[in-house]
This record gives sequence, C-alpha cells and structure tokens, in this order.
Amino acid sequence: MRMKSIFRHETILFLVVIVALVILSIQAEQFATIDNLLNQGRFLTEVSLVALIMTFVIVTGGIDLSVGSILGLSAIVLGVAWKKLGLPLPLAILVALSVGTLAGLFNGIIITRFKVPPLIATLATLALYRGLAEGISQARSIRGYPEWFFILGQGEFFGIPTQLWIVAFFTLLTGFILTYTTWGRATYAIGANETAARFSGIAVDKTKLFIYAASGFAASLAAIIFVSRVSTTRSDMGMGLELDAITAVVLGGTSIFGGKGTIVGTFFGLILIQILKNGLSLAGVKSDGTYIAIGLVLILTLLISNLFNRNSEG
Amino acid sequence: MKKYLLLISGLLFSSSLALAGDWTGGDDLPTNPLPCSGPAPAGEAKPYDGGSPTGAPNRKGKTITVVDVPKLVGIGYFSATTKGILDAAAEMGSMNAKTDGPSEANIDDQITLIDNYITQGVDGVLFAANDPGAIAPVLKKALSKGINVVGYDANSDPDARQWFVNQAEFNGIAKSLVDNMAREIGGSGGVAIVTSTFTTPNQARWIAEMEAYSNKCHPKLEWLETVEAQEDNILSFNQANTLINKYGSDLKGIYGMTSVATPASADAVTQANQCGNIAVVGLATPNAMKPYVNSGCVESVVLWNPVDLGYAAAYVLRAVADGDLKPGATSVNAGKLGELQVINGSEILLGAPYTFNKGNINDFDF
Repeated sequence: MRMKSIFRHETILFLVVIVALVILSIQAEQFATIDNLLNQGRFLTEVSLVALIMTFVIVTGGIDLSVGSILGLSAIVLGVAWKKLGLPLPLAILVALSVGTLAGLFNGIIITRFKVPPLIATLATLALYRGLAEGISQARSIRGYPEWFFILGQGEFFGIPTQLWIVAFFTLLTGFILTYTTWGRATYAIGANETAARFSGIAVDKTKLFIYAASGFAASLAAIIFVSRVSTTRSDMGMGLELDAITAVVLGGTSIFGGKGTIVGTFFGLILIQILKNGLSLAGVKSDGTYIAIGLVLILTLLISNLFNRNSEG
Repeated sequence: MKKYLLLISGLLFSSSLALAGDWTGGDDLPTNPLPCSGPAPAGEAKPYDGGSPTGAPNRKGKTITVVDVPKLVGIGYFSATTKGILDAAAEMGSMNAKTDGPSEANIDDQITLIDNYITQGVDGVLFAANDPGAIAPVLKKALSKGINVVGYDANSDPDARQWFVNQAEFNGIAKSLVDNMAREIGGSGGVAIVTSTFTTPNQARWIAEMEAYSNKCHPKLEWLETVEAQEDNILSFNQANTLINKYGSDLKGIYGMTSVATPASADAVTQANQCGNIAVVGLATPNAMKPYVNSGCVESVVLWNPVDLGYAAAYVLRAVADGDLKPGATSVNAGKLGELQVINGSEILLGAPYTFNKGNINDFDF
C-alpha cells in the first residue's frame, strides 16, 4: 500500500469509525450486540438511499435540497393513490415511485434548461413539493396498510432487516457505477470542470438530468420504506432529511465544490453518524449532548483529513 | 428560510382548503359534543382495550428505571410534566426517572429515541406521542420486551400501550374554549385557529370537537381559517399576525391550540393594538399568559395542570408495574391527587379542564 492511500480521507474516516466503535462498546454494553446494530440499520435506511445518490449530485458540483420534500410528497401520493383512489397497493407504490422520479427530473430540467443554480432550484422545489404534499393530503394522515406491506420496513430476510438488503444492493450498484462506468467518469468530469467536460463531448445535461431524477427516485423509495416502517403516512415526513444526507456525504469526503468524492466515503459517513447517535444515547448521553458530539466529530474528522491531505494535493 | 417558504406554500394551500367547508385541522373521528348547558351525560363503560407486556418480570416494590419521552423538550409545557414526574418519583422513592425527548416535535427522532431506550433496557416508558400510528410499532416492541408503557398528554393507538393518562376529555376542552370565545365576542363573528400541525392528534381531536360543539351551540361563530405553526414561537406569531392582517375587522377571535400558539397570538394582537377587538382564547400555561391576562388583553386561558399530569402518569406507571392497576379496574390511586377514574376502557382521567382568568392566574406558577 502506498503512503498516499494510507492518508486518504476514506481511510481516516474508517479509522475514526473503528475508534468510535471501540469506545462506544466499552461505554455501553448493549451497543455492540447484533440485535442493536441491525436495528440501527433500519433507522439508517432512508437517509442512506438518499445520501448515495446525493453523492453523485454533489460530485457534479450540485446539491439537492428537495429530497426531504420529495419523500413527503411520495409518501402522501402512495397513501392517497391506495386509500382515496383505491388502487391496489403494488400499483400505488409504482405511482409513488414515478411521482418521486418525475419530481427529481423536474429539478433537473430547471437546473439544466433554465440554468438555475441547483441550490436555488431545489430550495424552491423544497417548498413546492412540501406544499403539494400538504395540499394533497388535506392534512389527514393515512393509515391501515395491509400486513404484508410492513415486511419492507419492519420485517427481515435471513435474520437481516429487509431494508438493509435494499441498501446493500444500492450501495454496491452506485459504488460500481461511480467508480467503473462511463457515467461515473462523466459525473466526476462535470464536477471538476463543466465547460471542459462539455467540450470533451460529454453529455453534461443528460447526465445531470439522469442524476437528479435518480435522486428523486431514491427519495421516493425511501418514502415507501419509511411508510412501511412507521405504518402511517403524514405530509411532514422527511423534513430535514436533506441536511442529514448532505452531512453524511460531506463527512464522507465529497467536495462540496464537486469533482471529488466516493460512495465508500459516504458509506462510512453514514455509519459514523448513526453509531454516534445510537451509542451515545445508549451510554446515557441525552439527545442534546449527542448533537454536540456529532458536530465536534464532524469538524475534527474534516480537520484531520485536511491536515494529511494538504500536502499531497498541493 | 425553510420555515418561511413552507409558510408561504402552507398559506396558499390552507386558503384553498378553506373552501372545502369543514374546519381544517380537525380529524375524521366521530365527535361527541357536550350539551350546551347542564351536566354531561355519563359515558358508557368500555372493556379494556390497551395492550399488555409479554414476560414482564415481577416489579412489585422494586426500584424501577423509567424514561419519559415527551413530544419535544425545551418548552414550558413539557418542562412542567417532567417536574410532575420527578416530584412523583421523589415522593415514591422507588423510581429512577429521566426525561429525554427530541428537540423538535418530530416522529422519526422520537421513535429512534424510544428504540434506543428499549435496547438500553428500561423498566418503563412514559410517552407523549407525536403521531398515534407512527409511534405504535416501537411501543409494541417495548411491550414485547416486557417493558411497562404508559402514555400521557398525546395518545397512541390503544393496543400499543397499557394505559393513557387523559388530561381532560376532548369534548370538555372544546366546550370550555368555545363557550369562553362566544362569551367574549358576544356570540357572533369570525374566528380563526392557530394550531401546531393539521395532523397532531390532540389538536386535531379538539378542533373536530370544537367544530361540532360550535355548530351545535354557537352557530353564529363563523370559522374563517386554521393555520399551522408547528410549536414554534416565531412562526406562531407570524401566522397570527397574518390572520389579523388578512381578515381585518372580520376577525373577532383567535383560538390558540398549543401552549406556544396562544401566547404568540396574544402577543400579535397586543402588538397590532387590537386588544379588545380580537379575543384570544386558548390552551396555554399560566406563566406564559400572565402578562396578557394582567394587561386585560386576554380574558380566559384554558388548561389542566401539566405538573399534575406528569405526576399522575408516574403514579399510573408505578401502579401498572406493581400489578395494582389491572385491566378492568375502575380507578387508580395517584398520590396526592387521590383516586382517578378510568374512562374509555384504558384511559385515566385527570379531571375537568381549568379556566385561568385575571382573578386566579397569579396563584399558579408553571
């Protein structure tokens, strides 16, 4: 292993995760049990799905603030399509996924066609989609889903929570795409220098459209798992999700300016935040103290990483 | 910024919803308005519909560890319930209680917190639900691990907990609010509501009951609009202010549905120099309302005593853990509060709502 790879951000993050795991296991005896760790996986699912695609978005130099609202909108569409319109539930799920994907595609169209900065465009749709969710829901929550639907959010396969299989699949898939495919290289190229990418013949707009649509799809998939986990639909679902996802991605070493970042980093970022939340809570730290600790670890990790990487990047 | 944008979109939609006729923010459950005057009819006895823990150890007389998870922490109301729980725990001497809740009234944070405490291994969970359905799976999980579960303030699905301490019956609160409003504005005129969110269970239930009672007993009170303000100070003030500007002299009264919305609405009315023209009637803690009641801007504040509510919840949990409160019981002993009645199958009623006014508000400190 070359010296440089030892000091890569992902490696440092990995070490921080290990240190956190060891300390938390000593502090709270219930922490390092299979039961608890798998259970944490359940809580991690929704933000993970969103954060994986958010990595692509941020690597292109963009941002998607509307994911939490898309989650809320998709959840409501699922409920309304099933209960009010009387569609069979599997069909309602497809409708919800389509609406989420279209919402993401709409973000992409505003950004690529009308050259609106992603921050502004998705800030606007954050309000728009949440408003739609509240309007469509008529401020009523929807409940009474059939038992089989809860398998997704509350059941398990071979002892592993169902949604963890889904997360694992998408982690591998997105990791493969970003690292080994033309799509992945185009994503990096756009983030590094969009003009250069355009002149190199990369289909910049098409790639971006696809990424924002995928982001919407991920949010709507998260919505369906979330609804299944809590067995109810509310229009305020997913509020603040965008910040959790962006935090994990940035902690994972993805540059907010684009061009740099990996799925592995995001993966460790997600895990670090979740084990801190859970472990500190189990160790008897109240939720306010937990937030302080997460903030400090974030700053510390980024500082250490910057310290080691400053020289190597010149 | 986010809240501001939400506010705009929320206003757009709530105004379009207003055309629908029904009061926005109520729920679809059947209502049971009290008679316009005279005593309430006795309710029918219902069989126990709560859940029960599986394999709970014998906790009789033993010191138990209890976690209290309110809707959110850091607001006066839930600080008061926490005080009641700690008072009761100190009095009993056999309960280690602590409060830990989300910093915003958020379903997911609350679920995660409770789940962590289940893993940590507590004997009892006290909760005030942010959503009756969303919290149910995690409470059922607690029951399945032999943990005693008692709710207060905001209920879950009945079978997800053992008992629920009901601060006041919904129709009782609704009657108290609407009667006070009708008296203050002279029986007719436009009224608006500032609530937390349209789906918050208590507020939705009260609004539905208020609609039923108002239509039955005070038909000349005209409902204009319900606005959402989370349980956020600034947002509540802004929403009340928007109502005042939007409806002008058509607005005769504002109902504040949360302990945050009521003082914020009173503040908005005061700052708009509309004291005496726009009445504010709502649920709030006395301390928050003293300035407005003493200045004469607000005449009546309706509430129960949240310290007593927390206190009763702790005693109920102790009684359940001891096996003294079983399905089918008709009353339970709650320390200095005496015997409290069981209603609706698996709920324990704290008492009738209390109206604070200029004459008595200074006697209370919470």
